[in-house]
Amino acid sequence: MIRAPLTKALSLGSSTSPIHKIAAAAFRTTAVTAQIPAKAPEKIEVFVDDIPVHVEPGTTILQAAAVAGVEIPRFCYHERLAVAGNCRMCLVEIEKSPKLAAACAMPVMKGWRIKTNSEKTRQAREGVMEFLLMNHPLDCPICDQGGECDLQDQAMAFGSDRSRFTDINHSGKRAVEDKDIGPLVKTIMTRCIHCTRCIRFASEIAGVDDLGTTGRGNDMQIGTYVEKLFLSEMSGNVIDLCPVGALTNKPFSFAARPWETRKISSIDVLDAVGSNIIVSTRTNEVLRILPRENEEINEEWLADKSRFACDGLKRQRLVAPMVRIKGELTPVEWEGALIEVGQKVRAANGAVAGVAGSLADVESMVALKDLLNRVGSEAVCTEQSFPSEGSGADLRSNYLFNRNIQSLETADVALLIGTNPRYEAPLINTRLRKAYVHNELEVASIGPKIDLSYRHNNLGDDSNLITQICNGTHPFAAKLKEAKNPAIIVGSDLLARPDGAGILANLQNFAKGFKSTSALNVLQRNASQAGALDIGYQAGVEEAIKSKPKVLFLLNADEAKVTRDQLPKDCYIVYVGHHGDEGAQIADAVLPGVAYTEKTATYVNTEGRAQQTLAAVSPPGLARDDWKIFRAISEIVGAPLPYDSLEEIRDRLDDIAPHLIRHGHLEANSFQTVAPQLSAAPSISSGKVSVQQLSLKDYFMTDPISRASPTMAKCIQAAKKEGEKKAASASC
Amino acid sequence: MAKYLGLDKVGKLFQIIQQSGGLRAAYKKLYRFDELKIGSLVGTDKYGNKYFENPYYFYGRNRWVEYAHHQNMDYDGSQIPAEWFGWMHYKTDLPPIRDGARVQHKWMASHSENLSGTKEQYMPYTTTKPKYEAWDPKKK
Amino acid sequence: MAGREAARKVVHQVRPLLSVDKDEARKRVINLYKTWYRQIPYVVMDYDIPMSVEQCRDKLREEFLKNKDVSDIRVIDMLVVKGQMELKETVEIWKQKGHIMRYWKESQDPKPTDFLSKFFNGQN
Repeated sequence: MIRAPLTKALSLGSSTSPIHKIAAAAFRTTAVTAQIPAKAPEKIEVFVDDIPVHVEPGTTILQAAAVAGVEIPRFCYHERLAVAGNCRMCLVEIEKSPKLAAACAMPVMKGWRIKTNSEKTRQAREGVMEFLLMNHPLDCPICDQGGECDLQDQAMAFGSDRSRFTDINHSGKRAVEDKDIGPLVKTIMTRCIHCTRCIRFASEIAGVDDLGTTGRGNDMQIGTYVEKLFLSEMSGNVIDLCPVGALTNKPFSFAARPWETRKISSIDVLDAVGSNIIVSTRTNEVLRILPRENEEINEEWLADKSRFACDGLKRQRLVAPMVRIKGELTPVEWEGALIEVGQKVRAANGAVAGVAGSLADVESMVALKDLLNRVGSEAVCTEQSFPSEGSGADLRSNYLFNRNIQSLETADVALLIGTNPRYEAPLINTRLRKAYVHNELEVASIGPKIDLSYRHNNLGDDSNLITQICNGTHPFAAKLKEAKNPAIIVGSDLLARPDGAGILANLQNFAKGFKSTSALNVLQRNASQAGALDIGYQAGVEEAIKSKPKVLFLLNADEAKVTRDQLPKDCYIVYVGHHGDEGAQIADAVLPGVAYTEKTATYVNTEGRAQQTLAAVSPPGLARDDWKIFRAISEIVGAPLPYDSLEEIRDRLDDIAPHLIRHGHLEANSFQTVAPQLSAAPSISSGKVSVQQLSLKDYFMTDPISRASPTMAKCIQAAKKEGEKKAASASC
Repeated sequence: MAKYLGLDKVGKLFQIIQQSGGLRAAYKKLYRFDELKIGSLVGTDKYGNKYFENPYYFYGRNRWVEYAHHQNMDYDGSQIPAEWFGWMHYKTDLPPIRDGARVQHKWMASHSENLSGTKEQYMPYTTTKPKYEAWDPKKK
Repeated sequence: MAGREAARKVVHQVRPLLSVDKDEARKRVINLYKTWYRQIPYVVMDYDIPMSVEQCRDKLREEFLKNKDVSDIRVIDMLVVKGQMELKETVEIWKQKGHIMRYWKESQDPKPTDFLSKFFNGQN
């Protein structure tokens, strides 16, 4: 296995040609970003198609060619995976060398003249293509990969222009039985060309050694050996990795061709990571969601919930305003619904409260807060609570993932407290795993025993352990103190406990003595939480309940944190959201908002990075942008909000917190050192540290969209069945 | 002479009134069909429509139907069943009641009139699934 | 100097469309108005429109008064020409009932501009 120090090669191999610069910029980095040694070794000069390139020793031919702006065809090679060198597509000629060399695996030597377009190279490629196509079925017309198939493209570009295939009786083509590896990935194994990208992804990135090969030569097969489901929270990525149509998207199968779809860059909101996505739509329907490359957040991966829960956007939708008439929610026109809500708000005389749930965007939360402030109320809260004692949510560093996601790769010691990043934020877990694999990260966890997909030291689930760590009596405390790049990751659910303030204060005091200032990180679970706290929402629903509201606005609040019995009898509940879930059920008026694929809205991820979703499809039925609903209510109440368009409300966001409109930009956090001085009396009550999402079946349904998704329901079924199977085999 | 005075027409009127069953009945018939004709009853279909013929009238007007009483003013050409349609339109001179070759089966559906414009009219409906499945508050 | 000024004025003079002065243009307008006025009873009858002759005359007056502020003779002439075309089309029954009724109702509603109406309409 050759692990190429790519960035080393790229950061120093500066070239004057603009093509080189583009090639270098388009290139990806690996885990070794921060490992640039103090003294750069001597660069060596090679010639790719007579273009001179200066690269570091150890660079492979393929990378050197990329620096020169020459792309060498490949199937098995992938920048983020280990080099396998088994597809032979990247064979290139080296001058004065008798044999061709596999460019992906061969490090360059000084003065080499590499010919990527010589007669010999082209012949080798044609030969490889011929061998691959000999056993590849000719089912491109019914193959879901058609249009985005590497084999198809490269057969066009590098294959022979005629066939020597004479087996007109179809007796000789290899046929392989399809495997059932779960409800997400469809396998047509006859199409497999044995690039082993999926195997390498599963074992290196996802950390589940489920896939492997059996047999040799023509009989080689990729599979799970025994009938088993490939169940991982990252399994969908093998679909993108597969260069042919062997692994395809099961819910998307036979739905559309890639060239028919419109692709809109957007942001995922089903967890707090804020993965960059591409929404593929056709005929005003979201068909599938693909990851979009963002080195700072999700690299090029996407978690399964974010990828496959999009069919939940088409079910259980609120498509018309509804008002409770004779105890039944009845669809009405917007005018009627708004006037009814407006009358109640006016009659409430300031006794109004608002609760924002996990999928609320910043614009609508600002509009709700402005509306409530205008009618004389301050009670706006989030469903997820966070300690308000001490500096509470006043300092951003208290509730954010201060060490940004990308720099987790350089961490050397990590402590997870009351969190399971594997299911709460799968892409943060892959970063941790990356650091574990490439940077010898040592991980310990406080909480129940969980499988993180990498080895870690479970210290136990006693809350006293946190105290012990903080006062330095626990042996792991010393390790954290000595570490160059320590990271403590605290689950937001742990801080929602009554003694959350104490835990946070203790940890802040402890983290003061670290070598890195941004060691303490809070891992949020909701896409809305960081944004809500940024604009001054109070965390936790207690405030809303305490204010005894006569009108309560639920903005996407579906966690059932507020129930009817906690509120006054005559409280009028208005639900604004896009799915009929817990919130809509207890509501007296339901105003249909739009989901994240239908609106242009801002979300702040757990790092504090503001990003925006773009509207990919138009809202269903009578649904309207959430913030416009509050704007309309404000006009009916008689206190109109001063913004009519998206640009104007963005200006308002700018007034509140300028970082909210700097999309994609990460604001540096300060005040980590000040926070402990403001913290409350540090006391941690004893008890157990618990985690909500323990195993895979807890992962799939955490919000209204994924709860409405049939695919996610199938995943839970599959995960449960697999769990039972495992338990049965363990017992006998 | 009587012809010149139009007395034969008066006589005909009396004949028609007589055949119609009195002055009131004749008036009612005139009100319903806007015309009064005399002719021989050829047959009655199972819905109660009566078919008349009188070669005295011009071809094209010498066969006519008096719709069943219960239809009142809501009569319509499509109420004539298929077997009588042929006779009414001179496709055949043999009225169905005298046509021995006409087959009768139990399973033959009875005639239905054109229902356009009524509540029972055919309404095409979509069979495709809606793109968005709306939430139903009653379904738990 | 004065000569040049005068010359410029002459040069500036545009070629007339039909009328050479305001009085002639006015005559043409009144002529057109009268013709329309006399045609109206026949229009009402021919097209079987649900409007009385008086209503049509009010509309005629309204349509003419729409352009009462036009002062450019060439524009007036052009409007007269267009009016004549309309009249011809009406008289020859090249139009249909709907075309006549369009004088009373625009087929398109004006787009709302305030937030609430836009919100109810569902437009951004």
